[in-house]
Amino acid sequence: MAFRDLVMGGAGCAVPGQDGSSSSNPLGGLADSIIGSASKTQERIREMPGLAGPGQAGPQIGRSGPLTSLPGSEFNLGQRPDGQVPDYLRGFQGADPREFTDAWNQSVERWPPPPQFPMAPLNQEGALFQEFEGIYGQQAGPSGAPQMLDAPPQRVLNGFLHSFLDSSRTNAPFPAVRLPELGLSQADKRRIRDRSHIMGRHIFADKGEAFIDSQVNGLLHSLDIDDSLGAQTRGPLGGQLPEFEQLWKEGYAQSNMQIAPRPLMPLANQWADEFQNHAGPSGAPQGWADEFANQQNGDQWVNQFQEQQHQSRLRNGPMGNMAGMEQTRSLVQTLSQNQDPKFQNSKFLQFVSKMSRGELIVEENQVKPGMANAGAGAWADEFQQQHPESWAAEFTAGEHQLRSDSWANEFARTAPEPVATNDAWVDEFSRLGVKDWADEFGDQMAKGDEISTEWVDSYDQFVEEQVRGEQKRAASSRFVYQFADNNPYVGHPNPLKEGQDLFRRGLLSEAVLALEAEVLKNPENAEGWRLLGITHAENDDDRQAIASMVRARDADPANLEVLLALGVSHTNELEQEEALRYLRGWLQHHPKYGTLVPGDAAERLIPSEVENLFQEAAILSPEDSDIHTVLGVLYNLSRNYDKAISSFERALQLKPRDYSLWNKLGATQANSSRSAEAIYAYQEALDLKPNYVRAWSNMGIGYANQGRYEESIRYYVRALVMNPKADNAWQYLRISLSIASRNDLLDACEMRDLEKLQKEFPL
Amino acid sequence: MASDGSVSEGSKLKSAQLLDMVRTHLTTDAGKELQTKVGFVYQINIAPKKMGFEEESFVVDLKNLKVYKGKAEGKPDATFSFLDSDFIGVATGKTNPQMAFIRGKMKIKGSMSAAQKFTPEIFPKPAKL
Repeated sequence: MAFRDLVMGGAGCAVPGQDGSSSSNPLGGLADSIIGSASKTQERIREMPGLAGPGQAGPQIGRSGPLTSLPGSEFNLGQRPDGQVPDYLRGFQGADPREFTDAWNQSVERWPPPPQFPMAPLNQEGALFQEFEGIYGQQAGPSGAPQMLDAPPQRVLNGFLHSFLDSSRTNAPFPAVRLPELGLSQADKRRIRDRSHIMGRHIFADKGEAFIDSQVNGLLHSLDIDDSLGAQTRGPLGGQLPEFEQLWKEGYAQSNMQIAPRPLMPLANQWADEFQNHAGPSGAPQGWADEFANQQNGDQWVNQFQEQQHQSRLRNGPMGNMAGMEQTRSLVQTLSQNQDPKFQNSKFLQFVSKMSRGELIVEENQVKPGMANAGAGAWADEFQQQHPESWAAEFTAGEHQLRSDSWANEFARTAPEPVATNDAWVDEFSRLGVKDWADEFGDQMAKGDEISTEWVDSYDQFVEEQVRGEQKRAASSRFVYQFADNNPYVGHPNPLKEGQDLFRRGLLSEAVLALEAEVLKNPENAEGWRLLGITHAENDDDRQAIASMVRARDADPANLEVLLALGVSHTNELEQEEALRYLRGWLQHHPKYGTLVPGDAAERLIPSEVENLFQEAAILSPEDSDIHTVLGVLYNLSRNYDKAISSFERALQLKPRDYSLWNKLGATQANSSRSAEAIYAYQEALDLKPNYVRAWSNMGIGYANQGRYEESIRYYVRALVMNPKADNAWQYLRISLSIASRNDLLDACEMRDLEKLQKEFPL
Repeated sequence: MASDGSVSEGSKLKSAQLLDMVRTHLTTDAGKELQTKVGFVYQINIAPKKMGFEEESFVVDLKNLKVYKGKAEGKPDATFSFLDSDFIGVATGKTNPQMAFIRGKMKIKGSMSAAQKFTPEIFPKPAKL
């Protein structure tokens, strides 16, 4: 299939030989050309066609010294000293694709999308340096041999941070040296401190905590940054230290070469302004702009990144466009062999073909309208306007689906802003281990066509999905009840009665809707909320159960059933403290036993103390099944399973037809590793209430915990047929499917295709 | 009152509750299989709210089928750091471990091949009352 060729480098898409070009697959080749070897792996750099490129590159490459290796590569080394991380990440195939979206969303949220960078027009050769100088203009003066202490504080700091980074290669302890007063603000210091801790962990990841700490402390001490927040600043220290001079020179000399002054601030301002215009309704970009403005002062980590760009451009820049066009053409050819209409219409293909026709060119890592077609110039803008979610979001979509290093790189480059966020990116990518994505991608593609179609699809739909997902996340905060959309029972004359009927008939999911309609109509109706909570619990949704019960309790704080239900649900959620509080409240509000409970609850409740209170109550009235029930729950909390089982058995003697008690007994047995007995108890519960979703789901858990995964699947599926919203059951089903080597059904699980699952696993 | 060797006693962490279940689980046949299937020693550092702060350490020793509180006796094959809720997420299959790793919600130290075997499979699913 064409797509595979594209990535795997099939014969059909071999790249017309750029001399020295090692990329036999077009996507990789494209990426290489576009990106100019932005990939952080050194091997890749060496493979680059541009190696033979411009004269300036020579000395840089051959140079021995602190910056011989590509700055940034130390992150990789640090991150994966033994190359093991890729193995770990190779486990990705089974992952939920939505999770990737989420993960990338988070990355993007943390570092909001950058603005378009109004780059000066560049023409081949000299342009390289022009740009580089632009980036550097502020930090570095024209002199190639800077004077340490005469230099502006920025430069001192800059060089100093470099020498810190260099120390990762030499493994030399980083000595604390005294620097002149740099005039750093507290915010700067804090930022440097935080980042150096993070960076330290990355670049010295193979060294161990103590080493990292000493390195970072050396750095911080030198910069007069106290490790505690809100550091007190020492007075300025003078004195030239020769060893520092040395350090500084080593670390900084190279990056300082061939730098001519060029003011960055105006550009930056312009940039920030423009970005604010783009910012739209979301607050985050605004925050970014501010952040950017601040970063102009203190944050010099970015130089590392700039150098990297600098070097890669030296190697590839002048050839970039031609090679890029060439490779893009072959890419387009390959792509267009794919007959899938979805693919043919995809923005990705449009993007690539525009590039191949020269309508868009990627120059200095920015997508620009090409000369060939001025009309196409609007495309980039238009694209951005149509997708206020921004380029970043678009590329995030591509990113998470592709899992390839080309995309990772392209994402980083296309995000047309090389300064403010790139320390974040360096971090992010070093954490990801960019190369792993490539492996991952290869593996994925090797698996077949379906996935490639899928990601193209997702790429186009991503923006919409993201907006939806965003809303969902916002609403999912704790204890906030989430109503279903399009409730048919809204407007029903008596939804409570309808809900009670449905509940009695065992139609739990329907009952939920009717009861939701009731509490929407009468938000203060404790009974409506209570029954809704009970229904959710039986439907195996403790979060919603808790949310409803909290509302029920607000309306009727002394309702015993509500308090017990809250205690049970919190126990299920492993929230011991909350559970204890509610169960104690149960006794406190009990007309008969309330006097047993001392007035003020201790700050922190001790399970055994609450248990003691109930034991007293049980002595008072041994025939009260409720007391034994609560005791059973309490013993569950303290993991006294044997006692818990006795309590539930006692309660069942008094109330043998209480299906929820049978389930509680079963669950307790299961949690105490007596899953075989539990199955029997669950069966009792199900005989009494056939639509008891919780018992079905527990049955699945019981089998799974015994290692009987095939059976567990059947029960999970059965539970899900009755309540497709039971998220826990979906998660457990996925686990069982993968352990039972039914990976073929993981997709069905992901798609929540119950029909297919039921067909495969009938009960 | 908790049974001997409980790792959750005095801990406010949900994870401790779950690890107590693991402790029980390891006495079952299915649990014992983990010795051959996985057989690694994992140390798990769990922080209630903020990574690295007020951490409690637990050891899930699948070589010797035991769970205990504190640092590993000897060198663990892999050490993980989580927030309480993130550990629960991974253990119950809500979050896939690779995903947690990428998001920075799971920090790994030690052998990657050992880390790879750290899956929801190790953890019993808590039954619901």
